[in-house]
Amino acid sequence: MARRATRYLLRTLSWSALGATLAVSVAACNNQTGFSGSVGNTPNGPPLASYEILGTVGTPFTAIVSDTRSSWAFQGNVPLSVIICNNILPARIVATKTSVNSNLLSLEILSGGHVAELQSTSAPFGTVSVQVGGTLNSIAPPAGSLPNNSPDLRIFVSGPLNLSYSALVEDITTGFVINSRAPTLILFDTPDGKVDATFFGTPSFPTFTVDMTLDGVVVASVMQGPNATIREP
Amino acid sequence: MKYFFVHRTVRAPIVLFVIVICVLLASLGSAQAAKNTMVEVGFVGAPPPGFQNVLLNVQQVRINPNSSAAPDNAKWQVIPVPPGIGNAQQNAELQIDLNTSQNLPQLFNTALVQPYTYQIAEIDLDPNNPGTLVPNCPLAPPLGDTADGCINYPLQLSVGTTVITTPISGVAPKKGALAVLVLQVSVKINQAPTVPGGPYIATVTLAPLPNSVLGTVTGSVKVTSGSGSGTSTSKILPLSVTAEAIGTNTPIATAPLTNNNFTLILPAAGGPTAPGFGTLYDLAVSGGADTYAAERLQPLYPGQSITVGPIAVTGNQTLGNITGMITDGCVATKPITGATLQLLMPPTSNSTADCLTSPEQCVTVATANTDNAGNFPLPGTVTTPAEFDQVPILPKKGSYVMEITAPGYDPLMVLAIPSSNTSNKGSTCSTNGGTTFGACDLTLNTGYIAGTIPITPPNPGQTILVQVFAEDAGTNNIESALPMPISVTSSNSTVDFTLNVPPSIPMFDLFATTIDLYQGVSDPFQGHTIAVKSGVTGPAEPSMPGVCNTVTPTFDQTIDCIGHGSVIGTVANATLGTSVVLSKEDLASGDFVQITNSQVQNQSPNPNASNNYSFCVPADTYWLQRVQLPMPSESVTPSVAPTPEPEGTPSITVTIPPAPLLNGPTPTRSAAPTGAPTPTATATQKVTCPTTCSNPDGSCPGICNTVIKTIP
Repeated sequence: MARRATRYLLRTLSWSALGATLAVSVAACNNQTGFSGSVGNTPNGPPLASYEILGTVGTPFTAIVSDTRSSWAFQGNVPLSVIICNNILPARIVATKTSVNSNLLSLEILSGGHVAELQSTSAPFGTVSVQVGGTLNSIAPPAGSLPNNSPDLRIFVSGPLNLSYSALVEDITTGFVINSRAPTLILFDTPDGKVDATFFGTPSFPTFTVDMTLDGVVVASVMQGPNATIREP
Repeated sequence: MKYFFVHRTVRAPIVLFVIVICVLLASLGSAQAAKNTMVEVGFVGAPPPGFQNVLLNVQQVRINPNSSAAPDNAKWQVIPVPPGIGNAQQNAELQIDLNTSQNLPQLFNTALVQPYTYQIAEIDLDPNNPGTLVPNCPLAPPLGDTADGCINYPLQLSVGTTVITTPISGVAPKKGALAVLVLQVSVKINQAPTVPGGPYIATVTLAPLPNSVLGTVTGSVKVTSGSGSGTSTSKILPLSVTAEAIGTNTPIATAPLTNNNFTLILPAAGGPTAPGFGTLYDLAVSGGADTYAAERLQPLYPGQSITVGPIAVTGNQTLGNITGMITDGCVATKPITGATLQLLMPPTSNSTADCLTSPEQCVTVATANTDNAGNFPLPGTVTTPAEFDQVPILPKKGSYVMEITAPGYDPLMVLAIPSSNTSNKGSTCSTNGGTTFGACDLTLNTGYIAGTIPITPPNPGQTILVQVFAEDAGTNNIESALPMPISVTSSNSTVDFTLNVPPSIPMFDLFATTIDLYQGVSDPFQGHTIAVKSGVTGPAEPSMPGVCNTVTPTFDQTIDCIGHGSVIGTVANATLGTSVVLSKEDLASGDFVQITNSQVQNQSPNPNASNNYSFCVPADTYWLQRVQLPMPSESVTPSVAPTPEPEGTPSITVTIPPAPLLNGPTPTRSAAPTGAPTPTATATQKVTCPTTCSNPDGSCPGICNTVIKTIP
């Protein structure tokens, strides 16, 4: 009986080690590998750019991010990662600091593992703007305002600040692999059918708190760790 | 056989697991065991003249005890970008502006390193995008396709590497001590762009500066044993001392305690005469399951030291948390995202200060923010819990003064009692001075300004983003901005906006700016005129909860496509507290609305001190006013942060002539440029429209003009 318990413990430990190694490997590959069908049933979407709103921790801001089809307005505090699934580039993000101090607000676009564009301000209520994938001449209509950019689906992921995680976010046709750090605002541009997302934290990642909003209404909330799954009802 | 299979199946992963863990532990141990000293790195900028911004994208700083160390030498010690930007695992970088760090060092970061005597330092710039230059508009001919100003130009280094090195000396931190490395970063232009949008080719050099450009704050903390029950929380914030800019919650540097002693090395404003201008700081003592403590310091001067304490705190406190939700007082259940909550303590120098009625006399000892649902605090990290999750519980149900602020809302002062981390009862707050306490689910009062601004619509297919700001009338203290800029299309001739403003402010000045592109890329400065409206009476306080008021001003000024412009000059007898405010006149009232300000840069004792200021603003008529922050009195601890006041000659008018038009008629404005030399831009550019904006006839502003104005 003792041997069996020991064996069970060892087996659990070994699979945990393998799982941790896999998770670290996937994270280290920085969006190059995808989940290759091991999670979810959808083909992988293209690698996604990440819009990082950085600077002095806690600095409040308002922002609008737009691709060619949809735009989203939101508020938050530094730091925040923003990712658009199913986007159609070019995309642009504009952020305005909403404090009168000299705190730093920095907008960075991460693409292909490096900083593609960067703008900063320390001015009171200073504004910064960056874009990726070409020129976006017009800010698109708000997500959910037209039949061809509906619904407005957002997933807000919070957890211990700056802790990295991997995630698979998918609708019925495409899955997007995300490697980011909390907190993150995931915007799904015009999802095809219902959306679900699975978040993989490292073993030291205590708990994800994930909210899914549909057209401004919270439709699902999950608090789990080190992994968490949220589904559109 | 089954057991054999199971054993073999299990053994391989176990071996792998053990090896991985051992390697990780071994590397962690060797790396961390010796990293018991700290190095603080700061930058001083030495930019080339004629630029509005000289921006470098710094990935990390490295130091090595071997002056000829190879790039992969194992003894390189890394000082990464600060935590709010990223950390060792993040692909992020800190953008530093050499223009704004000419007088005072800009602290980069502090990191644990091994206790070597360091001989060489390097900064690693982003190899793909090492930096950006924003020149002022050109002063005089010859002008060409590549001479436009107030736009971004990429920086290309003249050498083939983005790793800049310099020999250093005197950086030899002992165990548990803090060493400082101040690096002067110089940029010299080798070649201006040769094609539109082309890079500036420049040489970036690095040189160590003496630590005398900084000041030192040393002190001790006396911890007496408390009578609390202690805490079982496994991760406790370490007891540390944080220096904050006076009267704010902006941390400048944090020092851990070593044998109850601390050392902070901080930027200190100097000047041509000793001891200098002086910089004011607050100290917040927190962490370690001890009570909070606060100090407000006398001015800190370069090369000098202030000794503080011993600062008394009481240990063995039971830690609790303050949690809750902040919502809008006008719209039921609407959360306020990004609200700031601060716990205030009176400083030792003014221990009788009433933080509830005079928060400006107090020091922030803990800060939290609300999330997207209005809940606070935001989670901390695994090793660094949120400050509001580790608040010492005061005896006899004692309370803290907590200030809640959010742009567009009235500040709210409450008393807050933390809840024990082991209790099911939440923290409680009182909005009536302690008469009654309830859950810390609080509402902030607001009111609305709903207005209309005329605008010349963009051409079909283009949009203009408009942002509107409200500030206290007659000041540049901005109170609010739109939660998202308004997108204007070709079918719009007006901008309709609704702005949250705090109803306790009797009168506001408003101004509207645009967020533009320049030839399809982000434009750091707007090309449309700024519309202003002065003296807008604010909305009244809500007559009852949920019943909020709106005022409806109408702008007289129109937002037009006009193009960039710049104003540059010098300020006579400037000190490190001198700045220049740029205002625009509301022609209907004759009052000025303050738009922006510029610190006077490159002052004595810098070699070749120029006392210069500069603005990149749309071509228009503005007013300039010298503003002076009072020099702190030596050896006197102020009770509140000083505020700048206008000084000297009343506002000076300046008119920036509009840029000549491309692909269209010449400008119709006849305003004569002021200052000298007179800009004579020629419309011979090959750049195609739109530049920063375009007119209904398809024309667009060409190369912008600069005006020189000396401020007496």
